[in-house]
Amino acid sequence: MGIKIDPLKCTACMACEMACGYHRDDAFALLSSCIVTYRTKEKKDYFGVVLKEGEYLVIARPEGLEVKKIGVVEEGSKADASAKPMLLREPCDLCSDQADGPLCLRFCPVNAIYQE
Amino acid sequence: MEYLSSNKIAVIDLGSSEIAEEELDEGLVRENIGGAGINRYLYHKYESDDPLVIGSGLLTGTLVAGSALAVMTAKSPRTGSLCHAPITLTAGMELKFSGFDYLVIKGVSSKPVFLWLHDGIADIQDAGDLWGKDTWEATESVRKAVGDDLVQVLAIGPAGERGSGLAQVGNNYWASGDTWGFGKLLGRKKLKLIAVRGMGLLEIADPEGFIAQSQELLTEIKGGGWAGKAGIGDILAALGEEDGPSWLAPLIHRHKACFNTPYAANTFVFLDEDPKRMTEPETPEPGMLLTRFSDLLGFKQCGLSALESGRILKECARMGLDGTAVSSLCLKAGLKDLEGIRNFLPGADGPVDGQAAGPFSSFAPGKPLFADFGLAPDGSQDAAWWARRQAVAYLFGIHPLFILMAPELTEEKLLELANLGTGLEVTAETLDQAISEVVRG
Repeated sequence: MGIKIDPLKCTACMACEMACGYHRDDAFALLSSCIVTYRTKEKKDYFGVVLKEGEYLVIARPEGLEVKKIGVVEEGSKADASAKPMLLREPCDLCSDQADGPLCLRFCPVNAIYQE
Repeated sequence: MEYLSSNKIAVIDLGSSEIAEEELDEGLVRENIGGAGINRYLYHKYESDDPLVIGSGLLTGTLVAGSALAVMTAKSPRTGSLCHAPITLTAGMELKFSGFDYLVIKGVSSKPVFLWLHDGIADIQDAGDLWGKDTWEATESVRKAVGDDLVQVLAIGPAGERGSGLAQVGNNYWASGDTWGFGKLLGRKKLKLIAVRGMGLLEIADPEGFIAQSQELLTEIKGGGWAGKAGIGDILAALGEEDGPSWLAPLIHRHKACFNTPYAANTFVFLDEDPKRMTEPETPEPGMLLTRFSDLLGFKQCGLSALESGRILKECARMGLDGTAVSSLCLKAGLKDLEGIRNFLPGADGPVDGQAAGPFSSFAPGKPLFADFGLAPDGSQDAAWWARRQAVAYLFGIHPLFILMAPELTEEKLLELANLGTGLEVTAETLDQAISEVVRG
């Protein structure tokens, strides 16, 4: 029952990231979120969502999903600097303390995040 | 101020290069709420130094839907009156988490400088290498210099440097809601840009109550008339430009929202790549993020195609020119072709017709969007209603377009959230007074 992301519905509003930050810190902050809006390629309008699930990063790019094991750089590929901030963060726990389920899902205004 | 705040005001004197820090007094928040309310107070406090005041709203950067807004306040070089401009996308949120609630930027520097705000630290740095660059080059340079692509940049381009009244303060690479010529003010102060990064933390007085109320409100909002619509084209259609969506459609890559704002009010158009491409573009600068409906409408009315309008708006953004004002002058001068308009840009200046009279930017159109607020059908209530809705947005830090789309964002609910978040007990009477004062200008 992991979290699913539809990257083409995502509008990069960062509500999921702030909701996750609240779950971690009981305050508003972004530094502990395990779900992050990927937004460094601003001039190219190339954005998506990265989720840390266990030892894996789920990268929801506009062209599709990719799952990478953290710390493993595939031959011929370039390590992505944007993944670095995720390494020290706690992985997604589906907001286990929340009776109504993951906050990122509940605060996504366009239903780009869901559970099957 | 303990909650939803960094408890810090920076008073930056560009003349002496000194920066003083003050605490944000709870009494100031109780009386003036935040955003434009406190900006206005600080402006008058330092009025003799011709200040530019920048501040976030009381709810900016939170989980309240639409909480994207920060506000820039100064005497407009165009109107000579106290005016407020919206700061949207993610810059308002980043400011909220930068360690500063408010910035007072006073005086004039003897040489080009920029401000770098992060982690509760404010620095005045030399901008000799940035002066002369357009906003795209300046944004790239400062991000590279500080080593962070997520730094938000409020910059002027050549238009602000040369003192054009059409100069605006841009938001990273894109146009902003500065319809007041604040770009000229920054140019006069020799302030090339303000770079801000927010990595702080905001405590909440009643976290569980605040989150529960925010989610309940979002649930109500999700059923609104905005749902299923997106971007600049749908806004144009709602304002009566019915062919707007089809005119723009061939260029649309994706729509993009400002921080935690349900309606994606910005539309990225590809000018030099296939807009259907979803893999990372090969060209470094394939297009333009359209952030203002009136910019696009202006050049559409000049007779340009959507592609030509996108190209001109990209040039306006790079030069730091207010696209709506430029298009108005082009229309008046009878300029209707791409080259004629392009040639007009480098020296563009002049009085702008139809400048909004009140203190709020025409970034937000003067009537409801996709929603019924129960106004009189003849439009007689629109102006007063609009000013009050804008005041509420500029006080609490709510996106000024989204507040026209969501009747669910009532004054009562926003005040309740503010009180849950801050632990203050601001009354409806105080809010009403703060609204009246901000509307008055």
